[in-house]
Amino acid sequence: MSSADDGAYPAVYYDGVSSRRRQVELRLGTQLDIVEHGSVLASWSYADIRRVDGSRGLRLTSAATAAQARLEIADEAAQRQLTTRCAALDQDRGGGQPLRIVGWSLAAAASIVLMTLYGIPLVADRLAALVPASAEQRLGAAVDKQVRALMGGKSCTGAEGQRAFAKMVEALRTAGNSAIPLEAQVLSSPVPNAVALPGGRIYLFEGLLSRARNSDEIAGVIAHEIGHAEHRDGLRSVIRTGGTSFLFGLLFGDITGSGAVIFASRMLLDASHSRDAETAADDYAIRAMTRLGRSPAPLGELLVRISGKDGGTTIIDSHPVSSERLERMRRATPTNAGPPILTDAEWQALRRVCATG
Amino acid sequence: MHQTVANPAPPADRVSFSGERSTFRKLVTRGALLELVTFGFYRFWLATDIRRHLWSHTSVGDDSVEYTGRAKELLIGFLIAMAILVPVYLVYFLIGLEAEMMQAFASLPLVLFFYLFTEFARYRARRYRLSRTLWRGLRFSMGGSGWSYGWRSGLWGLLVVISLGFALPWRAAALERFKMRHTAYGSLQGRFDGTGGELFRRAWGLWLSGLLAIAIAFATPVIASPTSLIDAFLLLIVIVFFLLVSPFVYAAFKAIEWRWWVSGLRLGEVCFESRLAAGALNGCYWKAVGWSVLFMALLASWLAGMFWIVGELFSIGGTVEQHMLFVSQHPAFLAGSAVGYLLMALAFGAVIRIYLNRDVWALVAQSTVVHNLAAADGVSGQGEAVGAVGEGLADGLDVAGF
Repeated sequence: MSSADDGAYPAVYYDGVSSRRRQVELRLGTQLDIVEHGSVLASWSYADIRRVDGSRGLRLTSAATAAQARLEIADEAAQRQLTTRCAALDQDRGGGQPLRIVGWSLAAAASIVLMTLYGIPLVADRLAALVPASAEQRLGAAVDKQVRALMGGKSCTGAEGQRAFAKMVEALRTAGNSAIPLEAQVLSSPVPNAVALPGGRIYLFEGLLSRARNSDEIAGVIAHEIGHAEHRDGLRSVIRTGGTSFLFGLLFGDITGSGAVIFASRMLLDASHSRDAETAADDYAIRAMTRLGRSPAPLGELLVRISGKDGGTTIIDSHPVSSERLERMRRATPTNAGPPILTDAEWQALRRVCATG
Repeated sequence: MHQTVANPAPPADRVSFSGERSTFRKLVTRGALLELVTFGFYRFWLATDIRRHLWSHTSVGDDSVEYTGRAKELLIGFLIAMAILVPVYLVYFLIGLEAEMMQAFASLPLVLFFYLFTEFARYRARRYRLSRTLWRGLRFSMGGSGWSYGWRSGLWGLLVVISLGFALPWRAAALERFKMRHTAYGSLQGRFDGTGGELFRRAWGLWLSGLLAIAIAFATPVIASPTSLIDAFLLLIVIVFFLLVSPFVYAAFKAIEWRWWVSGLRLGEVCFESRLAAGALNGCYWKAVGWSVLFMALLASWLAGMFWIVGELFSIGGTVEQHMLFVSQHPAFLAGSAVGYLLMALAFGAVIRIYLNRDVWALVAQSTVVHNLAAADGVSGQGEAVGAVGEGLADGLDVAGF
């Protein structure tokens, strides 16, 4: 073996073409010569030499060679010599420039958040106007099956009750000048709620019906939901929720179980938007009720009763019962009082719609 | 006939792992924090760093393995995968919509399609990792069709379900044979010599006890519904007992599986043998379970603390129910919970990487010996470095390995 004095050091060389282990000597001249048995196997220019991962010693390759030739140097003097001579030794190591990655990630996150805050509602509004009614009805049918499967609710089929309910829905629709086809039903679910799905499907849950004190309270709720259907809020919300969850899914990728966070943020974002929609639906309810000569205030009272009047609405509540909402309904007293929307007998029949049939 | 004297077998070469756990711990802790501030985008860089660490500290014979993949490739692969997956998801959504029209949750068969797609992605991801693995200046390579692998995996999976897990060893063997058949180191063709029967012989006890445990835990309350408090308490003890034992059972199964897998690997004349003891992985799984329980306890106390503080600061009184509702929906509480939850998820991820990835890797590597390594001496190179789209798909489908 040559000594270090004449610039020759022992090393192991793999030429990248075969896996043969070659004991070579390195000659550090104007460039690095890799010599086996006196013949030069390869000459690497110092500027091309790069460090690669290795557990022992120094493992090098040359950026200029096509194959993955590797040079392993255990000799410490040779390691010192080469690290001083090779200026670009760690150029391609790519240790992950964290600041740049952090910066771009924040930019991506910001653009996605802005998209969900401003872009998606805009798209949802435009898109909702473009979606043909038939497509919306299909969507409604799909959502409908899911909702029923999840709520476990069956349609209530008490004949008299259904007649009364249909009469109420029709009266409110005509009063509000709504032209969209509606499909309203009472579902036997104990949840005190009512929903408007895409495609004019309105569901009143028995839980709400049983807590109502008079027919005006239910009429107000139905008018409110017709308002949602009229403004195609269900469709809009489906588009928005889909878009938002998609964008956040893109962003979070695989951070373990980020689903919960996504869900929470979506709830918050949705709720902050649905306030406008709620106000618009309230407007419809107020208009329809006053035109029928009934006060819209019972709607507010019912909502307050079932959600518990606590004064402090949280922003997550999608049906915020704020005092302003209640006030707005109280102020809107009809100029001339009209007859009740349902007769007493009809109201009693509606209340029993889930018990019979 | 001559009495043949067996040649003394050449001394077996060892596989060794020389990485320090503290280095790895720093790597994954830093990576987890960066993942947090980059909304997870750092995962490409973290995965690459983890692989570089594991690969470069693993030596076969005298030479350490080298991982030549780069994070940018993973990022590009992810972007391409997004371009593929977005329309697929859209079509999936539309088909699902039509299917739902006929029957709620009728879109279930579409899940099958995604299963196949996932298996395809896994196969291609393995291909990427292999083609970025270098030893003695030559790369590994992998051919074969990902779809062909996908439907095989799907059919075998179906068989496993039908047979209540009985077919699991044969599935593992068949899929491993397929993968190794298409694997090569340079011109050295790979194959897999392990058989399903062998794995079954080693692991049937565990399979049976697992099945029995599930059967007992589920059937007992059905057959003999707990009539008294003591009955219910006994049932609870049984379930807790099973829960405590299950990490051991799983660790033992994984040890058996690793041992079987390593011992079945062949590359030309080179063969591997594992001397992994059946109880070798118990420690890893128990540490992972222990830390996870600790993190969950920490999260629970954090949530309780947040609940109390928010309640004290902002409460408006009312009944207990109203108070609960108010606090649990307060933005401050939600934000605090989200932070706690994220931190726990990241800590959990780090623990999994340290104990279940790194430690298991180290134990498996160190218990492996290589016979006939000389056969890999004069191998010539073949195979190209393939793109990372498979990894991207796997990432997009949430099945990416480390």
